[in-house]
Amino acid sequence: MKVVHEWLQEYVGPTIPPIEALEELFMFHAFEVEGIEKVGEHDVIDLKILPDRASYCLSHRGIAREIASITGVPLTYDPLQSTERLPTFEDITVAIEDTHACTRFGAALVTGVTVGDSPQWLKDRLHALGARSINNIVDATNYVMYALGQPLHAYDAAKFPKVDGKWQFHVRFAQEGETVSLIAEKGADTDRVLSLIGTELLVVDASSNTPIGLAGIKGGAFAGVDEATTSIIIEAAHFDPIITRKTSRRLGIVIDGSKRFENNPSPELIPHALREVVLLIQKIASGTCVGAVDIEKEPVSQEVVVVNPQRVNALLGLSLSVSEITELIARVGATVTQEGELLHVVPPFERTDLHIEEDFIDEVGRLYGYKHVVSVLPEVVPLSEINARHVYSEAVRTQLVALGFSEVITSSFNKKDIVALRNALASDKSYMRSSLSANVNEVLDKNANLTDLLGAQDTRVFEIGTVFSEVNGVVSEHVSLCLGVRLKAHGYTPKDDAALREVVKTLESVLCTTLPLTIEGGVAE
Amino acid sequence: MASIHTGHKHPLSQMIAEINSIFSEIGFVFAEGPEAESEHYNFDMLNFPKDHPARDMQDTFFVSSSIPTVLRTHTSPVQARYMESHTPPIRVIVPGKVFRNEATDATHEAQFHQLEGLYVDKGVHMGHLKGTIEYFFSKFFEGDVEVRFRPSFFPFVEPGVEVDMMLKNSDSKLANRWIEIMGAGMVHPNVLRNCGIDPTVYSGFAFGMGIDRLGVMKYGVDDVRHFYSGDLRFVNQF
Repeated sequence: MKVVHEWLQEYVGPTIPPIEALEELFMFHAFEVEGIEKVGEHDVIDLKILPDRASYCLSHRGIAREIASITGVPLTYDPLQSTERLPTFEDITVAIEDTHACTRFGAALVTGVTVGDSPQWLKDRLHALGARSINNIVDATNYVMYALGQPLHAYDAAKFPKVDGKWQFHVRFAQEGETVSLIAEKGADTDRVLSLIGTELLVVDASSNTPIGLAGIKGGAFAGVDEATTSIIIEAAHFDPIITRKTSRRLGIVIDGSKRFENNPSPELIPHALREVVLLIQKIASGTCVGAVDIEKEPVSQEVVVVNPQRVNALLGLSLSVSEITELIARVGATVTQEGELLHVVPPFERTDLHIEEDFIDEVGRLYGYKHVVSVLPEVVPLSEINARHVYSEAVRTQLVALGFSEVITSSFNKKDIVALRNALASDKSYMRSSLSANVNEVLDKNANLTDLLGAQDTRVFEIGTVFSEVNGVVSEHVSLCLGVRLKAHGYTPKDDAALREVVKTLESVLCTTLPLTIEGGVAE
Repeated sequence: MASIHTGHKHPLSQMIAEINSIFSEIGFVFAEGPEAESEHYNFDMLNFPKDHPARDMQDTFFVSSSIPTVLRTHTSPVQARYMESHTPPIRVIVPGKVFRNEATDATHEAQFHQLEGLYVDKGVHMGHLKGTIEYFFSKFFEGDVEVRFRPSFFPFVEPGVEVDMMLKNSDSKLANRWIEIMGAGMVHPNVLRNCGIDPTVYSGFAFGMGIDRLGVMKYGVDDVRHFYSGDLRFVNQF
C-alpha cells in the first residue's frame, strides 16, 4: 500500500514525523516499509500490509490512525469521527437477495455536476500512488477509496432506467449461464463479457434485470460516466469477503477494489465514504446532493473482548501496570473499562481484526515496543525422546562418508512419475519422484569425469530423501537411501555393481542390520 | 577396491546435525512429518481460514489426490501433529524440506529446507523466545548474537514477529549489522485448541527459518540452487 506523506498529514496534523522517522516507527511498531520514493513533489511510502491489518490499513486514514496509535498523539482530523450524514430520500431502492452476502448497500444522488479533468493536486496524488486519472467523478471515487478504504462506483443517473420514478438496484447471485459485461481492461477496446456459473454475486439494474457489475470486483460499462453526464449515483456497499475472494480468484480479476473487499473492511465506512465523496465532488465538479439511501439489515456492533492484564504480561514477558496496558489499548481507538482485575475492551468500528484477548496482547506488545522484551533462556531439561530415524540416518552418513561417498540432495520433482502436481512450475517438474535412482544416476554422469579435479579415484555418491507413491488415490511417502558408484569415467560397467555389493556388505556389518537394497546399473536403492 | 579417499556430508545435513546438537542441549527433540501434507495440517489446523487472504502468503503446490493434499509450504504442520500426539511440556525442532511454487533464482528455490521450533509449557513468554533464539544463533554463528523483534503476521501465532539478528564481536562479514532471519511468535490459541491443548493453561512460542539461508550466511554460498545441483565440486568443499 502506497501512501503520500502530505495526504497523511491532513489527518495526523502538523506534528507528523518526517518520512525517515516514520519509517522507523512503522518498522518497529506496525509493518515493514518496502520503499520510499519521491513522485513529483510527493514523498511516497510503500508499506507491506499483511492480511491481519488489511481490513483497515489499505487506506490513508488507516495508516494515519496507526501513526496516532504509535505516537499517542490523536489525529487532528478523523473523517470516521464525523457525525454529519447526507440527507436521506426514497428515490433509490435496493433489494438484497442475501443479506449475508451483502450486509449493507448505500447510494447517493448528486445532480448538476460538470464532468471534466480533475484539479492538478488530485491528479498528482493519484499519480503518486500509481493510479490513472480518468475524469473528476471517477477520480473522486478512487480518491475516497485510497483515503478511507471503501471502494465506490459512479453511474450516470440519466442512463440508469427508473421504474415508478425510482432507481432500483438489486443485489443477487448470478444464474448459471448468465453473462455480465465488464469495463474494458487497460489496452483493450472491447468490454469483457463473462459467462457466470451461479456462485457470483451481482449488482443488477432491477428495471430490466440486467447485471451491471460483479459485486465487489468490477463494474460494467452500464451507465458509465462521460463528459455529457450531469447527474450521478454513487454506490458504496459491503460484500462478503469470501464470496468476493472466490469469484475474484476464479476469474483472475484482482484489482484495488476487490483486494479491499476480500479483507473485510467495516460496513460502517459506507456513510462516511459517501459523505466524503459527495463533498469532494461538490468541490471539484460542483453539484448538489439530492439524497442518499443506506440499506442495512441490522447494524453490526463490536463485541466486548475481556483482556486480563496479568495474561498480557505473562505472554509478552513484561511487567506493565494496568494503567499502562489500558492506555496502550485505548491508543488504537478502543474503549476500555476496568471491571475488577479485568479490562472490558470494545474496538473501534473500523477494526474488524480485533476479536480475542491475544489480538489486544499483540497491540500492546507492538505499541509498547518489543525492544523491552528481555531474553530468558528456558530452563535446561534433558531430551524427552530421541528421533531414531535421524540417529540412524546420521550413522549411515558417517559410514558412507568414511567409505568415500559424498552426499547429494537432489530435486524432489520429476518429469513423469506416479504422483502428479496440479499446478507444476514447469513441464519437467510435473510429478514427484517415486525413487532416487534416476537422480543418483544423473549425478554420477555429471561428476564421473571430474575425478581428477576432485582428487578421487572414482565417483561415489548417496542420497537420503523422501520419495512419493500412491495407494488407492492417496499420496504415500517414505524415506529412501540410494548409493551410486561409477568406477570409470566413460560410463557404467558391471564392476560398479560389484563395488556396491561390497559397500552394502560393509555397511550392513558396521550397522549390524540387513539393508534390502536393489543393486542395478551402478545404483543401489 | 579400498578407497582411501573419504567423502563429504552435504552441507545441509551438516547444518541440520549441528542445529540438532545445539537444540538437544536445551531439551529440544528432533521431530518430523510428511512432505506431501494434507491441507488440514498445512493450513486448517494452523489457523489459515479457507478462502482467506492469508493463504496467498505462501505459493502452494497442490497434489492430485483424493484428499486435499499439498507439498508442505512450511514445517509448521509438524507442530500441529506433534502437539496432537504429545502433552506439554513440549520442546521440538523440525528441520525438513518444504516447497513453494515460486520462480527460482539465486535466493529462491522451489524446494528448500526449513527449521521449525516449538516450545509449549506453562508460563512460556516472548522473553523465552528471544532467549532461545539468541542462544541458538550465538552457538551456530560462534559469537555474541543479539536479536530484535518487529511486528509481523503469521496466522498460527499471535503476537507474530519478524526476527532480525546481529552478530557482535566477530570478524565475520555478517558482523555488526541487522539481518532479517526468521518469523516467530506466540502460538495462536486456536492452534493450541485445535491440537487439544488448553490455551488458558499453556502458552508457547514457535519460530521458523530457512536452513538454506543459514548456509548462505554461514558458508558464504552465493546461490541456493548449488545445494540441489548434485555437483560434487560444491559438496566436496564442505
